[in-house]
Amino acid sequence: MPGLNRFYRNPDAMWREEDGPKELVLQGLEQDRDVADIGTSIVLMNGTIHSLNILGTEIWKLCDGKMLDEIVSALKDIFDVEQAILEADVNSFLAEMKGLGLVYEK
Amino acid sequence: MKSDWYASSPVTINWAVTNKCNFCCRHCYSRSDASEEPEKQVLLDIVKKLSEAGVFSLNFGGGEPLLRKDLLEIASYASQLGIAVSMNSNGFLIDEKTAVELRKAGFKKVGISIDSPRPETHDEFRGVRGCYQKAVAALRHLKAAGIETSISSVICRINIKDIGGLIALARSLEVSYLNFHNFKCSGLGFTNKDELDLTPEEWKEFYIYVAGQKALIKDLHISLEDPIIASLGHKDSNALVKGSVCGKLSLNIKSNGDITPCGFIPIVVGNIISDDLKKIWNNSPVLNKMRGKTPKGKCVSCDHYSDCLGGCTARALALTGDMENPDPHCWWNGDA
Repeated sequence: MPGLNRFYRNPDAMWREEDGPKELVLQGLEQDRDVADIGTSIVLMNGTIHSLNILGTEIWKLCDGKMLDEIVSALKDIFDVEQAILEADVNSFLAEMKGLGLVYEK
Repeated sequence: MKSDWYASSPVTINWAVTNKCNFCCRHCYSRSDASEEPEKQVLLDIVKKLSEAGVFSLNFGGGEPLLRKDLLEIASYASQLGIAVSMNSNGFLIDEKTAVELRKAGFKKVGISIDSPRPETHDEFRGVRGCYQKAVAALRHLKAAGIETSISSVICRINIKDIGGLIALARSLEVSYLNFHNFKCSGLGFTNKDELDLTPEEWKEFYIYVAGQKALIKDLHISLEDPIIASLGHKDSNALVKGSVCGKLSLNIKSNGDITPCGFIPIVVGNIISDDLKKIWNNSPVLNKMRGKTPKGKCVSCDHYSDCLGGCTARALALTGDMENPDPHCWWNGDA
């Protein structure tokens, strides 16, 4: 059952949060500015570097064996977004990450 | 991503661990560099410093990195700290035993330089008879040891007619990557530039040809990594930074610890042994200038500038004395 699957980061992926941009994003969020295009972490796998924005970064960090509803629930504590919109964003992000081989579920 | 974005610390470090070399290449950029080399413990401390700064990958070069006797120990330490280690080598010293030792030390990728599919041409260019066969043998040993392999070729006058042959060679040896490096006018490359470098029109023809081959060939990853191809419409939408990656994602460390933006820019911005890497990365006026270049000359009116950011900074600096001038390899004249 898809809803009961757990999500994991690919252990071959190297990643880190970017301190400078993260501060910039947190300031932007306080001022209600659009920060969706600012990368707050980078992920390296197979020679390709990917940039994740603040939402992507937080989802990525939660991919440590959590199920979808656990990830959404944890994000609700961080982002003031409607449940349905958040679920759609998380599903979309995880689908993209799975397509890139960066995240797997089991 | 904004065009002026850069990582909060280097993602990749290219480290010329030694300037000693068993070859005499006609385009060598490091032949005239200082030969001072710190002891092993200093290098281990450097590795720790890189790890603490969040560096993902460390690519050993030189000189010939395998001439540094403690290379495996240094690489092994880096691997233990979670840094991905790779190397560019001429392959001459890689036999079956060495390949296995490299794997054990944590090397996941090793690139071998082969500049021509014609053995005599490669040998003559690299200055050592028989080195082509040694390079090919090295690739086979590495692959057998479970290391991902690549061929690195410096494109210049000696091989421009043999690009198809290089691609065929790479496929026959089943390497994962074929990295075409554009010719840099640094060191002996500057001295011999009139003999070896191509004209802007020849570079354009080369890139158009290789782009066509890339589209056709699925069993080999062909890498170009030259920002000026943006004017041909070859934009990498996944690219994290615009223009050159030097000083935005990567840095170069010389054998004596001096830090330069890349191996081909002879401007020292600090020293990894004595300085704080993150402070250099964030405060160096040279690096900041590279990240915020102002277009000059024909770049001012070029629609592609926002993608290529003037092309290769090293080439512009070497041939014009100003890193913000247009890349001398660029063929764009306002029509394309």
